[in-house]
Amino acid sequence: MTGLKLEHISHWFGLTQALDDVGVHIEESEFVAILGPSGCGKTTLLRVIGGFLRPSKGVVGFGDRIWSSPLVHVPVERRDLGMVFQSFALWPHMSVRAHVEFPLKSARHRNLGPKERKERIDRTLEATGLESLQHRLPGELSGGQRQRVSLARAIVSKPSVLLMDEPLSALDQELRVEMRREIQDIHRLTGATVVYVTHDQGEALAMADRLIIMKDGRIEQAGTPRAVYLRPETPFAASFVSKCNFVKGTWQGKNFVVPGNPPLIFDGAGIAEVFRGMNIYPVRPEQFRISKGDYGLEGRIANKLYSGREIHYSVRCQGEMFTVYTDSFQDYRPGESVRLLFEGPDEDRERNGLDKDGSMVYNRTA
Amino acid sequence: MHDSRFIRYYGNRILQAFFCFAVFLVFLAPLLRLLLMSVTEDAGYGFSHYARLLGEERTRLAVRNTLIVGASSTAFSMLFGATFAFLVAYANLKRRRLAELLILLPFIIPSYIITLSWTGIFSENGAVNGWLSSAGLAPVNLYSLGGIIFVHGMCTIPIVYMIVKAMLRRIPVDLEEASMAAGYSRRQTMLRINLALAAPAVASGGILSFLATIDNFSIPAFLGISSGIPVLSTYIYEKAIGFGPSSFSDAAVLSVLLSLLAVGGTLLEGFFVRRSPGLESTGEDASIRIELPRRTRAWVEWTMLGGLMTFNIVPLLFMFLSAMQKRYGLGYAADNLTVANFRDLLANAGVLRAVRTSILLAGAACAVCIVVGTAAAYLKIRKNNKAAKILEKSAALAYAIPGIVLALAMIFHWVEPLPGVRPGIYGTMTILAVAYVTRYLVLQIKGSVNAMLTVEPALEEAAVAGGSGKIAVWVKILLPLLAKPVLASAFLVFIPAMTELTLSSILSAAGTKTIGLTVFSFQQAGDYSLAAAMSAVVVLLVLGAYGTALLCKKFFERQKEKKNDRTEAGAHIPLVRPDAGAR
Repeated sequence: MTGLKLEHISHWFGLTQALDDVGVHIEESEFVAILGPSGCGKTTLLRVIGGFLRPSKGVVGFGDRIWSSPLVHVPVERRDLGMVFQSFALWPHMSVRAHVEFPLKSARHRNLGPKERKERIDRTLEATGLESLQHRLPGELSGGQRQRVSLARAIVSKPSVLLMDEPLSALDQELRVEMRREIQDIHRLTGATVVYVTHDQGEALAMADRLIIMKDGRIEQAGTPRAVYLRPETPFAASFVSKCNFVKGTWQGKNFVVPGNPPLIFDGAGIAEVFRGMNIYPVRPEQFRISKGDYGLEGRIANKLYSGREIHYSVRCQGEMFTVYTDSFQDYRPGESVRLLFEGPDEDRERNGLDKDGSMVYNRTA
Repeated sequence: MHDSRFIRYYGNRILQAFFCFAVFLVFLAPLLRLLLMSVTEDAGYGFSHYARLLGEERTRLAVRNTLIVGASSTAFSMLFGATFAFLVAYANLKRRRLAELLILLPFIIPSYIITLSWTGIFSENGAVNGWLSSAGLAPVNLYSLGGIIFVHGMCTIPIVYMIVKAMLRRIPVDLEEASMAAGYSRRQTMLRINLALAAPAVASGGILSFLATIDNFSIPAFLGISSGIPVLSTYIYEKAIGFGPSSFSDAAVLSVLLSLLAVGGTLLEGFFVRRSPGLESTGEDASIRIELPRRTRAWVEWTMLGGLMTFNIVPLLFMFLSAMQKRYGLGYAADNLTVANFRDLLANAGVLRAVRTSILLAGAACAVCIVVGTAAAYLKIRKNNKAAKILEKSAALAYAIPGIVLALAMIFHWVEPLPGVRPGIYGTMTILAVAYVTRYLVLQIKGSVNAMLTVEPALEEAAVAGGSGKIAVWVKILLPLLAKPVLASAFLVFIPAMTELTLSSILSAAGTKTIGLTVFSFQQAGDYSLAAAMSAVVVLLVLGAYGTALLCKKFFERQKEKKNDRTEAGAHIPLVRPDAGAR
């Protein structure tokens, strides 16, 4: 048995329930992103894995060991893990090198010889591009450099599990995109199991092997970025990850019908059962096409945000505000009456491809 | 057009120059005069006074005693102050507010009253010593070097406590978690991260407590003068009130020695403050970081509370009881108790005058400090005004110099501040008022600066943009926002000024006694019951003032919560500050 196993984890802070029967199995060397809005329990879950919190209920297992259970609680320092913090959590009185050296001097690495220790430190500093900064104090580093120190400190002891708590949210936009690549490189380099907590779905989609969407202390959906993005299983996952619009209509067998003249028919293949019950159909912003023709959902342009590569329109339609992404040449004025068309065929191909390996993709434990 | 700009520019410069001269005259000239006095000889200048005094056995004894008392009491206060700070800041103790109140009590109450209360406990024929000698043990004699060290230590614990606790709470919990994730237990993390980060704060608290100790006059005056144990502050006093041919220059020389120690310590403290690691968050995190098991927790909590009660409350209660004895040393049975001492006190015109004098002086000094200090803070923060910064530095120097030295310098200077100008304030209450402003102004400047920093310039700019004039901005924006924090720091000027002893011991004239001086002269005259009664009154006055201030603060905070006003949430107003005590 390898990997990280969470079973029926519940946690209460006083009377508020932060985690509600969470279960997930994370494979060895897998990069899992836990994604959700603030207050969804994602950080609590990470802290339970780290051992900073002892869950009120449930079991955390790593490999064939139990880390947390009603009977056992392995303290943080005896779990084989490294952690990267949102605030970087650098010690202001220690140099960069001292930070990287610190984990290797702990009781966990008692058997490490001085020569090997030095080699490991040097290698880690090199891998994170910190060699030239090794004698600086945290106060003398930029935000990106600080995050690298935090990363270097977390990986130098070659932990089996690397926990990351919104590591990029304190950085500015451009640096964030750059650091995504570096974190991926480090994941490949170390082969550690990464549990990465974020509220930024772009980050999660870009880096993770698998997403876990959380809401109100529960797992909403788990799956590959592609599966979650293209085939959301709950309205929350649909709106949080792929920013879906919900078209109102009725389900008739396999098809979804929006009444009108003529009625619009959407192919229902691959749409999760829950949407059928609610009589809605999820459409991602880029699946809509704006047209001036006579066919499609009637709407009126309410707002337009030009962003260079594409244009984001807000379209008032069915009494709701739908978001539509178009390329930057589709120019409509606010107030203009338009029709929204659904671009189906490409999607179906995607879905069919997914269905074949669906068993690999869906790894959800109830 | 050209002319008016010319006039404004030079007018401004002349105004600034005049202001700087006034600062020099009030804050720096007295100290220079003192320095000059110490090198003035019958013919010309030289260091003969230094040579003679340093050759004397008693001077060397005073210097040695000062260092011994300073170092030992600092070690004492660092040990207990840091331990209390650690427990209150991190451990899951209950009744932490009570513990904190008890720890800070010796800081709020003037040190001569603390001393008096302890001498009551350990009086020669008192209960404790009687019990000790009946148990075959040597009686405790507080009128000794050990006694002086002990009381100093008790009085400076709060200084270390406040600084270290604030620092410990400012350390983000993340830093601890990062260390645990790196493989260290909580205990190791506390040692390697928290204590390492708090070490400069401990050092700086230690230096501040050392400075407070060598500055202090009342403790060695109460315990050392009668028993012939000199330290520099009391030795200066003895010289200054003595009538020898060279007594003033002797006092000046000793003052220079003491000031060198004090200024050196202040610079060292500044060094530690600058060296302390810059933590990014400035907020204090009061979350519990050390979960003691239930039984340990109860044990630690009650040991600490019991110790604090015994050491900080019992002597005061004892003093209250002594104040009610019919005759000193009679015992504490109900029929031996009376309120006669208090009645005598209230019937004593001198005592009433002293209370009135102290309140008046402290109030006047406070009013001047509020106006000058807030104006200086405004100029410093908003206009980046050089003269205001010079004022702050000079006032800080006047505060770093021990009180007894400042008092002496005041005499030398204000007899004839400028050649040919004799204001004739020496020997009147005015010189005390001037001395109080000189000494305490820096506290108000600091308080007002902190208050000013919480008011964003944008708030003023918004008012100006909305068409308000300069006066309207002050009345409608600045005053309402500044009033509370400025008054809170004025409170920190008022209380020590009202109860101080050091300055008035040298500066007050025959007729004008202050509260502190009244207690001092009762004690020196051996009238313990009256001294105790007077002290009891002062304790009640001070506690009453703090109680009222706390209630006001609570009231305003509740009002604020009701309004749910979040813009002011960051402006926390402290009622005790480590650098503002009744020294």
